[in-house]
Amino acid sequence: MARVTFRNVWKKYGDFAAVKDLNIDCPDGTFLSILGPSGCGKSSTMRMVAGLEHISAGDILFDDKRINDLAPKDRDVAMVFENYALYPHKSVFENMANPLKLRGQDTGRIKDRVTQAAQLLEIGHLLERRPQELSGGQKQRVAIGRAIVREPKLFLFDEPIAHLDAKLRAHMRGEIKHMQRTLGTTMVYVTHDQLEAMSMADQIAVMHEGELQQLGSPREVYNKPVNAWVAGFVGEPAMNFLTCELSREADRLSLSHPNFSLALKPDQAGCLNGTTGTVRMGVRPDALAISMTRPAEPVITGEVFVTELLGGDMIVEVQLADARIRVKTAPEFAGSPGEACYLSVNRDKWHAFDTGTGRAYF
Amino acid sequence: MTDITLSPENSLRHGESLFRVRQLQDNVEARPAPSRIAEPARLNPLPSKAYFFWLMAPAIILLACISIYPFFWMIYMSLHEVDIGSATWNNFENFTKLFTDTRYLKGWALLFQYSLMCLALQIGIGVFLAVVLNGARFEKVLVTALLMPMMMAPIVAGLVWYFLYNGTFGWYHWLFQSLGLLDAKSILASPNTAMLGIVLVDVWQWTPLITLITLAGLKRVPQDQLEANMVDGASPLRNFFSVTLPNLYPVLLIAVMLRFMDNFRFIDSALVLTGGGPGNATKILPIYLFEVSFKFFKLGRGAAIALTLLVVTIILGMILVKVFDRQQTRKI
Ligand SMILES: Nc1ncnc2c1ncn2[C@@H]1O[C@H](COP(=O)(O)OP(=O)(O)OP(=O)(O)O)[C@@H](O)[C@H]1O
Ligand SMILES: [Mg+2]
Repeated sequence: MARVTFRNVWKKYGDFAAVKDLNIDCPDGTFLSILGPSGCGKSSTMRMVAGLEHISAGDILFDDKRINDLAPKDRDVAMVFENYALYPHKSVFENMANPLKLRGQDTGRIKDRVTQAAQLLEIGHLLERRPQELSGGQKQRVAIGRAIVREPKLFLFDEPIAHLDAKLRAHMRGEIKHMQRTLGTTMVYVTHDQLEAMSMADQIAVMHEGELQQLGSPREVYNKPVNAWVAGFVGEPAMNFLTCELSREADRLSLSHPNFSLALKPDQAGCLNGTTGTVRMGVRPDALAISMTRPAEPVITGEVFVTELLGGDMIVEVQLADARIRVKTAPEFAGSPGEACYLSVNRDKWHAFDTGTGRAYF
Repeated sequence: MTDITLSPENSLRHGESLFRVRQLQDNVEARPAPSRIAEPARLNPLPSKAYFFWLMAPAIILLACISIYPFFWMIYMSLHEVDIGSATWNNFENFTKLFTDTRYLKGWALLFQYSLMCLALQIGIGVFLAVVLNGARFEKVLVTALLMPMMMAPIVAGLVWYFLYNGTFGWYHWLFQSLGLLDAKSILASPNTAMLGIVLVDVWQWTPLITLITLAGLKRVPQDQLEANMVDGASPLRNFFSVTLPNLYPVLLIAVMLRFMDNFRFIDSALVLTGGGPGNATKILPIYLFEVSFKFFKLGRGAAIALTLLVVTIILGMILVKVFDRQQTRKI
């Protein structure tokens, strides 16, 4: 178990910087998720921690000990690789036993640990097979098994369940989280799936094009995104963005849009002090309420564009003058395309971003 | 649902209890009832290979005419006392006499000795060179330079080394002697070292082939497996033996096959260097075969020896394939 610290870490491949000035402090026992789209430098970060990639600049520390120059085998980490990286000439059992064998454990204990891990991952019946005789999802579980047979300082999971079917993925999410809590081992978990990060992590590091955008708990990242990019990336369905004019009447500040005009609360207005012109308003689908009858309070008027039923929820896409926005509502909603509808906004749950830089005002 | 208490002092036991608990929970999950679908009454036939056979037939027939005719001719000769223009049946005498022919039996022993020495040195040095060269700075240039011996006709190589080994003006002889490895006699002149002499020439000429094949194999060793093994805790040396080498088995099989069959057939350089001598110290079986057939002109006996050589080569080849196959699919 270890505390992991990234201090001004850079990864450069030639002139291309894949990771830029990364600073993360991950306390002992934390489940840290690195979240970002494909190609943002997640795997590069992970590989630097494992010792498979040279750290171009900066330091990585385990418990205040600089590990930049330590060989992978001396770092005592267990890693699940994005592409499984199983040994084709070894059986599933031997694959999973490998880390134990290399550390000179006795055969009895190896057998116990491997069978236990295999049971947990529901691959007990596959132990005799070879990797090429397994499906993608089974391979992935063997790769996880190889990591968890040991009790390392640190787990490094690189998109470990991306290839499983939805049901198994949900199951494995729970298993991995439970395992990490129980063992209390620090975990760095790379994923491009924001739902995975939200549901499992203690801390999420959101990355984009090699830069750390935001580091915080799932709640913080979801409720207080630091910029429009994070706001748009986290949350499903994605946040709606609308370009609004700031207008000042007497001393009240409001956002105006062809379809509506919304007054800002005093603290929100405070955050926008000194700004003029346009801002991007962001509001999540679940912070909007939709109805077919006009309510009393100020509303947004629009037209139902299409409805999608998702079992327990319904997503309604609403056509405004210059954009479409999505609203999450109950499946009982009865509007049909083309009808006029009325949206009201939860005034505590919306955001304003700079149109140019994307920085969040609130 | 869990019976685990989280406290730091028994965290080591968490692993064990963790697995037990989750296993219980898994049983709760609903599973579909076992399938009751019957096996199909008839399986569809596999696609026919006849079409492809006919496509290849002309080539196969041509090849058969060229190589099967002399093969049967050899069998015919091995069963007869052959003279120019005549052949008389001699009741397998060609074969039965072999069992008492000491030079024949010695020829086998020497052949195995020769081939094993060549293979061990070539594979060892060849793989080592490949590992060193792989990814080295001037890899392409070095490999090209290394390949030169292979470009030479074996008989020329034999002659070149014959002069290098020469007891009066040979440069290598002078070198060996200066190092105190040899006395005044040439390496080829002493029965104790002559075998080493011809082995060295074969090693010199054919190690580059092993290096080349191994280099190609090394390029295909999956990087991710090496990395996974490193993270699992392997040292570079261990990594080589547990990941690189198993991945090289298929190419090494090809290398061993090629080389041992060559050793059993090619005697150009050995013939030039020692011609089987001094005494019979390097009279490996193919050299003896050459002598019997083309020096003593006992074509019948020669054919019998050739046939036994062929059969042993085939058997050894098959054993090699089996051994490597097992390595590949070995179960725990
Ligand atoms: N060995 C390399 N040489 C050059 N560029 C590389 C190398 N490895 C990665 N890159 C580049 O670095 C960037 C980050 O790659 P990385 O593998 O870390 O992405 P990722 O976030 O893991 O993406 P994914 O979700 O697709 O796995 C990419 O733009 C990639 O093209
Ligand atoms: Mg990746």
